[in-house]
Amino acid sequence: MELFLWFTKFENTKPLALVIFFTVFCGILLYLYGSRSRGERIEEHKNIPLLDEDK
Amino acid sequence: MKHDKIERNLGWLLVLTMLAISAGGLVEVVPLFFIKETVETVKTADGKDMIRPYTPLEQRGRDIYIREGCYLCHSQMIRPFRDEALRYGHYSLAAESKYDHPFQWGSKRTGPDLARVGGKYSNDWHVQHLTAPRSMVPESVMPNYPWLIKTKLDTSDLTLRLQALRTTGVPYSMSKAEYDRNVKQFGEDVAKMLHIPDAEQNLIEQAKTGNYDNNINDVTEMDALVAYLQVLGTMVDFKQFDDDYFAKFR
Amino acid sequence: MATASVVTSEQYNYDIIRKFTIMTLVWGAVGMLVGVYIASELAFPFLNFDIPYITFGRLRPVHTGAVIFGFGGSALFATSYYVVQRTCQTRLWGGNLANFTFWGWQAVIVLAALGDVMGHSQGREYAEMEWPIDLLIEVVWVVYMAIFIGTLMNRKQPHIYVANWFYLSFILATALLHTFNNLAVPISLFSIKSYSLFSGAQDAMTQWWYGHNAVGFFLTAAFLGMMYYFVPKQAGKPVYSYRLSIVHFWALSFMYMWAGSHHLHWTAIPDWTSTLAATFSIMLLLPSWGGMINGIMTLSGAWDKLRTDPIMRFMIVALSFYGMSTFEGPMMSLKDVNALSHYTDWTVGHVHSGALGWVAMISFGSLYHLIPRLWNTQVYSLRLINVHFWLATIGVLLYITAMWISGIMQGLMWRAFDDFGNLQYSFAESVAAMHPFYAMRALGGAFFLTGMVVMCYNMYKTINQGNTEAAPVAAAA
Repeated sequence: MELFLWFTKFENTKPLALVIFFTVFCGILLYLYGSRSRGERIEEHKNIPLLDEDK
Repeated sequence: MKHDKIERNLGWLLVLTMLAISAGGLVEVVPLFFIKETVETVKTADGKDMIRPYTPLEQRGRDIYIREGCYLCHSQMIRPFRDEALRYGHYSLAAESKYDHPFQWGSKRTGPDLARVGGKYSNDWHVQHLTAPRSMVPESVMPNYPWLIKTKLDTSDLTLRLQALRTTGVPYSMSKAEYDRNVKQFGEDVAKMLHIPDAEQNLIEQAKTGNYDNNINDVTEMDALVAYLQVLGTMVDFKQFDDDYFAKFR
Repeated sequence: MATASVVTSEQYNYDIIRKFTIMTLVWGAVGMLVGVYIASELAFPFLNFDIPYITFGRLRPVHTGAVIFGFGGSALFATSYYVVQRTCQTRLWGGNLANFTFWGWQAVIVLAALGDVMGHSQGREYAEMEWPIDLLIEVVWVVYMAIFIGTLMNRKQPHIYVANWFYLSFILATALLHTFNNLAVPISLFSIKSYSLFSGAQDAMTQWWYGHNAVGFFLTAAFLGMMYYFVPKQAGKPVYSYRLSIVHFWALSFMYMWAGSHHLHWTAIPDWTSTLAATFSIMLLLPSWGGMINGIMTLSGAWDKLRTDPIMRFMIVALSFYGMSTFEGPMMSLKDVNALSHYTDWTVGHVHSGALGWVAMISFGSLYHLIPRLWNTQVYSLRLINVHFWLATIGVLLYITAMWISGIMQGLMWRAFDDFGNLQYSFAESVAAMHPFYAMRALGGAFFLTGMVVMCYNMYKTINQGNTEAAPVAAAA
């Protein structure tokens, strides 16, 4: 209950939310740009629309 | 977790996308239904609510206001600026639209704000202006609404309408107990007008005594619309409050 | 070539895409015509002709409904069905269900327009449709979602291409928004009339959460899906950065939903919602521009095509307008700017720089790419595409310039004081000052509409040409 009340206070949840969102955002960036080989693998996918030419 | 999973796994993509798009509404909209200070308490010295639901006639006028799409050119929301205070009056309170299903704050002022238009002009002015706006205000671009005064007000589904509003939470009364509650909350005069079994009779009486459209024989759509316009923004008596009373709800 | 095309049209369900494509053109022309008419009513009020059904208040929802849900919606159905099939390399799931979404959606648009002129309105902007139509939308949408997800599940390609993510988030978000914004109590099961479940401040928040995100997801995310497929296709090279598109997707999906209450600055909602919305609106600039840069950089190295390919021109101008209006939006969401711009024509101009400049232009580009492929032919006239391009561009520029001037002028006139501290202008004086700009706006709209009509003619000829070419092949087979 104590814990639940802590969450109902904006003074607490605002920084908490900020930290969570920012971490997730950094996580995404790190994942995408952290490793060169993974990056190259992800970039491969951009060719999908060009795979089936009907001309 | 690998992003690759999300790219390949449709289930993850669905769940995470749903989470991402739900967060905003959950944090911003949902709390407003639970935080009490969202809507101000506005009571008279003897503890009666100043803001009351619309009378049957006013509510039917509001229906016509919505039918004609008035909200697309007129706002009903005065902002707390000096020019708006001079032009329109005290800024609007959330409480003033608490019985508005739906709200009609609007988003555009092709015409002026109407939140406090009640009592500013005579009934006759409104009738003439609604029928032929440019005869009163030459610069106006408002359409003429000549059919309002010619069309008798349809009251056949009046009780259904008020009952639906009651279901959404507007305190119209069906039973004696509900009526007594309204007497306590709003005073006897108002409570009588909110009693659904007497709605049609009250509507006709208000139209006749108010004589909104200058014709006491018929109850027209003009009666209803003018009755609605004349009550807009008149319920709160701001003289009874300190200047900073409403600021703390912001 | 002929055999290859027979295979593609057997492999994929093109029939449904053809139907939605044709209706995109039809609703585009109809919706824009109504738009030009109501714009003219504001400039010349006699055009209301004292006929209830065509007054501004009743026709305006017809305009917004026909262009957003008719034109935009049909374009999205068509392109999403095309993109999901082509990038998953599988046939559309659900067989005849797709036909149900077509007829269901067209019925929604027609019934909504009829309801609007008859005066059946929920009194909520962009959601005027009464409850029976809302229920029909709900059913069509759930079927649409099932078809889209079903097709994704059947995909032959392990990776789901990013354009589909954008379409998916648009489908999910629209379902969410539509459902909660239209909660209402009908006065009886046999009446069209209903009252919204929520009232006042809460209702306002719900409506603008809906209204803003109809723009965010229906008119932005989904059209970005279109951009991520058709721009690379037309340029003949892959998107500039796939990783950037992933960041773009998550940031956009997450942030848009917070920005809605910037439509309610200075109104009777709690201050913190308004501040939060402004903050997120500013942050939204980053993913928006990330996406725009991604699109424009895709075209880098293909700049020479701009001179020869009018379809490419539509796309680059669309991206430019996307960049411009996603800069203007955050700026207008600042409380001090909003104090001036809110309730004025500036907002209307902003919406149209997004709707005409971005949404319509990217749709035109995509449709010009799509239609010849659907009917297995060439475009009838590239010159007419060029004519359309210039008519549309001049039209948008006239429109938004008129609205900028009139909007800022309105805002300044309303707050002007004379030397004695009284209001300098009456409201009526500000209305009179708008007249030339309302006329100019109507003219801009007329340009844009003419372009649309040119496109309809050009595509009619193209489709006809495709049909005649196909006839001998069919006979031979």
